[in-house]
Amino acid sequence: MTVVETSGLTKRYGNGVLAVDSVEMSVRRGEVYGFLGPNGAGKTTTLRMLVGLIRPSSGTATVAGHPPGDPSGLAKIGSLVEAPGFYPYLSGRENLKVVADYASISHKRVEEVLDIVELTSRAGRKFGSYSTGMKQRLGVAAALLKDPELLILDEPTSGLDPQGMAEMRKLIKDIGQGNRTVLLSSHLLPEVEQICDRVGVIRSGKLVTQSTVQELLGEEGVLVTAQPVDRAFELLKTMFGVAAVSRQNGSIRLQTDPAGSLEINTRLMAAGIGVSELRPIERSLEEAFFQLTGEKQGS
Amino acid sequence: MIASIKAEWRKLRFRPAFSVSAGLIAGITVLFYSLNWYQALHPGARDRGGVVSILTLFPDQFVNNVMGAAFPIGAAIAIVLGAIYAGSEFSWGTLKTTFTQRPGRLSVWTGRAVMFIFWMGMLAMVLFAAGAVMSVVVASFQGHAITWPAIGDISKGFGAIWLAFTVEGAIGLALGVLIRQSAAALGAGLIYILAVELIAVRFIDSINNGAYQWIGNLFVGQNVNALSQSFTSPAFGRTVAPAIGAEQAVLVLIAYGVGLMIVAAVLLRQRDVT
Repeated sequence: MTVVETSGLTKRYGNGVLAVDSVEMSVRRGEVYGFLGPNGAGKTTTLRMLVGLIRPSSGTATVAGHPPGDPSGLAKIGSLVEAPGFYPYLSGRENLKVVADYASISHKRVEEVLDIVELTSRAGRKFGSYSTGMKQRLGVAAALLKDPELLILDEPTSGLDPQGMAEMRKLIKDIGQGNRTVLLSSHLLPEVEQICDRVGVIRSGKLVTQSTVQELLGEEGVLVTAQPVDRAFELLKTMFGVAAVSRQNGSIRLQTDPAGSLEINTRLMAAGIGVSELRPIERSLEEAFFQLTGEKQGS
Repeated sequence: MIASIKAEWRKLRFRPAFSVSAGLIAGITVLFYSLNWYQALHPGARDRGGVVSILTLFPDQFVNNVMGAAFPIGAAIAIVLGAIYAGSEFSWGTLKTTFTQRPGRLSVWTGRAVMFIFWMGMLAMVLFAAGAVMSVVVASFQGHAITWPAIGDISKGFGAIWLAFTVEGAIGLALGVLIRQSAAALGAGLIYILAVELIAVRFIDSINNGAYQWIGNLFVGQNVNALSQSFTSPAFGRTVAPAIGAEQAVLVLIAYGVGLMIVAAVLLRQRDVT
């Protein structure tokens, strides 16, 4: 069952800029969905459309069973889109009470969410005096107030120092457990790889892929560097079949379970072939991301 | 809408602008009474219209006296408050926080408008309270009997000043929503009410020997002035009768207030929150 479903979702701004182009996104109930893309790819615009802040130029979306921005749907959604927006002259606690009042939620819940984001001891301080990390935490707390079915978090680790990032990562992991659906936009690919069940990659406004993390990373395999390489190649072809063996930069790539590495090594050695390297092939999400988005690694 | 009003009240009661504006209104009233009291006791600049009768400073005249706060001081304060109340929601990014909660946009705006009108009522109350207290102080020092205006006159005066503050504030509110920030909105509002409108009215009045004066009579400032000038008494000496009747001024101001609130609501409802 899907919690977020879009069909041809498009946003073209008045100046002609096509920010989001026919996005077909599907987020299933209970999953943690990573929404990836380079800066300016259209992630935030898409999320803003999903929470009803921006109206699409064309296409439709259903979020938590309702059109975006519908009060019945908003009651089931918690969101933190871009920087958290709170009143600087109010304390963190008072800010949450304001949000709770808007959402018609008991103030008892305010203390609960402050506890979840570990901000209780500093909740009496004015929001204007908060560090970036504390502001982000308060934003997550506000998003959790409604105990939402769907939590939309846009770059929640943005601007945080390494310790803050680690704390936020742990927090998102905790929040994402259970039946809650989390739609997370992030640049931090290793985190997405750890946390998310499925990912969608957006480039220049188009959703270029949507799959499980495993599917995106590709099939598992083994890389073998051996001498003489031709003899090794022939032997491995007889072992695994032609289709599973290919050459890669002077080495041999095998599409097989890395758990069989010991047997591969034994057979090659027995045939008098010297093995200098034998390791599992792991394409990181980062590699997959750069491949899909056409971005250059390290740029 | 009740949820929105509750949330707006929580925001407003802690807002420094709320207490600062109330203090400012009270301070200006005290200063106004003090200077006029001094002037009444030390007449010296009759040729520059500096004559103040001590009779105007006693409690029975306090309603007529405080009506002078409607324009331009009250207008300036109300426009500034309206502009920062609406504009700061954009600059702080709090509009997106409120719009992604349960109530719809119109419900949020209605709650905000209701609380702003309440805020203007509180300012009117502070103005009346400060005026009443100062009139008692003056009467006590001067050994004059303390008698109050009829409750009907107090209510009418309070309603008039509340309406004036609300409409002037609505200019700031609408500009804050239109421009989506506080500073430019309050600048534009002040320039309009203190300069542009006055120049425009003078120009319109001068065309064809005043043939189009009725157009000038439709401007906000003219109607606020006419309404405040309708509260007078013989103690204030001879005054020029306002060009606009009080009833007409009330109707025009209500039309402005409702119109500006609707324009702001439509803008908020239709536009993207980026």
